[in-house]
Amino acid sequence: MEEMLRMEGISKRFGTFYANRGVNLDIRRGEVHTLLGENGAGKSTLMNILIGLYQPTEGKIFMGGEEVHITSPAVAVEHGIGMVHQHFMLIEAMTGFENIILGSKVNPSALIEEAKDKKAIMELADRYGLEVDLDLPVSEMSIGMQQRVEILKVLYRGAELLILDEPTAVLTDQEVEGLFEILKSLTDEGKSVIFISHKMREVTRISNRVTVLRAGESVETLEMADTNGQELSDLMIGHHYVESTYKKVDGGKPVLEIKDVSYHPAEKHGGLKNVDLTVHAGEIVGIAGIDGNGQSQLAALVAGLIAPESGEVWRNGEKVAVFSPEDFIDQGLGNIPEDRNKMGLVGDMTVAQNLILKETESDRFSFGHGLWLKSKAIQEFADAKREQNDIRCTSVNQTARSLSGGNQQKVILARELDGDPEVLIAVYPTRGLDIGATNFIHDSIVAQRDKGCAVLLISADFDEVLKLSDHIAVLFEGEIMGQYSGENPPIDQISLAMAGK
Amino acid sequence: MDVFLGSMPDVLATTIRMTVPLLFVALGELFSERAGLVNIGLDGLMTIGAFTGFVVGYQTGNLWLGVLCGAVAGIAVNLIYAFCTVSLRVDQTVTGMAINILAPGIATFAYKVIFGDGSTLVQGTTMDKLAIPGLSAIPFVGDILFNQTLLAYLAYIAVPLCWFYFARTRGGLNFRSVGENPQAAETLGIDAIKTKYLASIVCGALAGIGGAFLTLCYTSTYATGVVAGRGFIALAAVIFGRWSSVGILGATLLFGFFDAVQIALQVSAPTVPYQFFAMIPYVFTIVALFFFNAQKGGPKANGKPYFREER
Repeated sequence: MEEMLRMEGISKRFGTFYANRGVNLDIRRGEVHTLLGENGAGKSTLMNILIGLYQPTEGKIFMGGEEVHITSPAVAVEHGIGMVHQHFMLIEAMTGFENIILGSKVNPSALIEEAKDKKAIMELADRYGLEVDLDLPVSEMSIGMQQRVEILKVLYRGAELLILDEPTAVLTDQEVEGLFEILKSLTDEGKSVIFISHKMREVTRISNRVTVLRAGESVETLEMADTNGQELSDLMIGHHYVESTYKKVDGGKPVLEIKDVSYHPAEKHGGLKNVDLTVHAGEIVGIAGIDGNGQSQLAALVAGLIAPESGEVWRNGEKVAVFSPEDFIDQGLGNIPEDRNKMGLVGDMTVAQNLILKETESDRFSFGHGLWLKSKAIQEFADAKREQNDIRCTSVNQTARSLSGGNQQKVILARELDGDPEVLIAVYPTRGLDIGATNFIHDSIVAQRDKGCAVLLISADFDEVLKLSDHIAVLFEGEIMGQYSGENPPIDQISLAMAGK
Repeated sequence: MDVFLGSMPDVLATTIRMTVPLLFVALGELFSERAGLVNIGLDGLMTIGAFTGFVVGYQTGNLWLGVLCGAVAGIAVNLIYAFCTVSLRVDQTVTGMAINILAPGIATFAYKVIFGDGSTLVQGTTMDKLAIPGLSAIPFVGDILFNQTLLAYLAYIAVPLCWFYFARTRGGLNFRSVGENPQAAETLGIDAIKTKYLASIVCGALAGIGGAFLTLCYTSTYATGVVAGRGFIALAAVIFGRWSSVGILGATLLFGFFDAVQIALQVSAPTVPYQFFAMIPYVFTIVALFFFNAQKGGPKANGKPYFREER
């Protein structure tokens, strides 16, 4: 097959740190080429070099055999390189049409020629099977359609090489199938795709070839036909990867019961509708579902941040009368919130301060109910937790903001599991974490379960839910679509439920 | 009351006139907010425009040169705002407030330097009205709408032009994207920083002209406090007009009407303290905003500093 792009010996240095070092990557015409690597392996840096946001410190880039200098995003567009970002770069208040023509010089006319431009866009859409409603504001589109608008945006600018950064992270299984068909029609037409993902199931299915990056260097490029998921995982983390498995158990007495609870039930993305759910002692109940189907509200309800509009919540056989986070915490609640920077930590406070935030008024850490903090006790506690949870920092007195995502999550975990809570809520607990940190978080949650804690796990990562849950419930548009045993779960059925079917 | 009703054509003609400064400034603010800059320094910009316009008009006798210099002065002061909020990413509200304090200070100081510390106000001239032949002869409406200064006509002509720019041109679409999502705009090759500076230049110019209108078409003199919070009323008009030029026209006409009413009432009821009537436009502004959900409908990245991604 003909070569489209070749990156040779690319290095990128920030200060003394090499984000990329001697990376080689070549892309053939008409292939799906996966870039595989953990967080911080250098995938983003490499792609930012390719789309002209960064200049490489060393190395050369060739397009179609000729050396090119991609000095700005505009130059990348001229060379037919386009990127679909993980976080969509769309203007919600504008229509699909407006988003596609925005900033483009394809039609040089100063006025917007709607009929002419729309015709050109629809031709592209039909050719690659991208179904979009151009007149709909982006804010009213499904995530899948928003992604198709992004792809059209890139195609409209004449892209031959499309970079898709974690494109499946936000999609339902059905939407992923649709995306894969689009990718196929793109490669059939001779376009090439760089696919960035760490979901091994998808990588092995869609890729023609895979290039593995580790610690900023390109480890190897393999034909997908000659390799498998296990080999790729090993290459990615640099040693033999053993996926941990957890025994599924039956729970004890019901600790948390949600009975027919509704909260803003008219809202599809941000409400709860007649939710019935029970979490028993010593079990993990996993909530599967696509992001934005009421997960945040369910978590807020269980944490006492919001009160239901109708229905009841029972705790240990007693009806909860007052919804206040403080009362809930006093009764033994651990909460790993969905956004560790916004909800889990105070970034500008030190690690030690963050570790005791829940107990500033206890006798353990202060005299006179918070009047005077016992700094020595706090320091000792923080050092102990740092040791115990392997929190990697130079000192517990550095700010929480300066830690890596994995270590930040370990700080939250240390605080929330201290004193063995009766109920633990874990919302997207491993989002954005690498394999090592993910395993640690998973082990800790399961260990807590084995101590008798009732765990409510909410995650958009279906594989995570399957791996940890003793009992699975599916949330779709605020409703529980079905409940399943965690032992040998009916995966197809759950996938359908996640799409509301 | 009879006196008041009898003066209705007068009130309406005054409405058209008093709307002009609000309209200029509110359109300027529209550009600013469409690029994500909530500029509350409008009052200050108007003050500097009013002062510069008056001084240049008085000294040269050329009132149009006064208008031009008012615009340039508005731009100059607003570039301070732009540098602070766009390049240094200082809080927009704080910077706007600083402009509101700085500009009248400069104006008062410069006035005393130029005209001395006397207690009598220096009297300049105001622009002549330009009756449009034919149209101004239409009974009732003609005198209200078509017997205004040229500057007033320009303000009203600017409304459809702004609408056309934002709704129908690629440039306008690109411009709007900066106020909605500057990160996305930049990935599409739109220079968000440049757009924000451009917006500040347009805003400064229009606010300066709006201020100059006050001293060159209305009072014929510069006195401290001549702007009298009109910048803030214009700010409210942008929200009330839902960030569209046509909506802003409607909102400023309404505010202009209340301004005209209070002027008429001051004349017709001299026994009542005039401060009582002078209050009307401001009370109405608060009432209008009270019944209006200001959170909805504005540009999404409005008021937020933009950080180009750096590492």
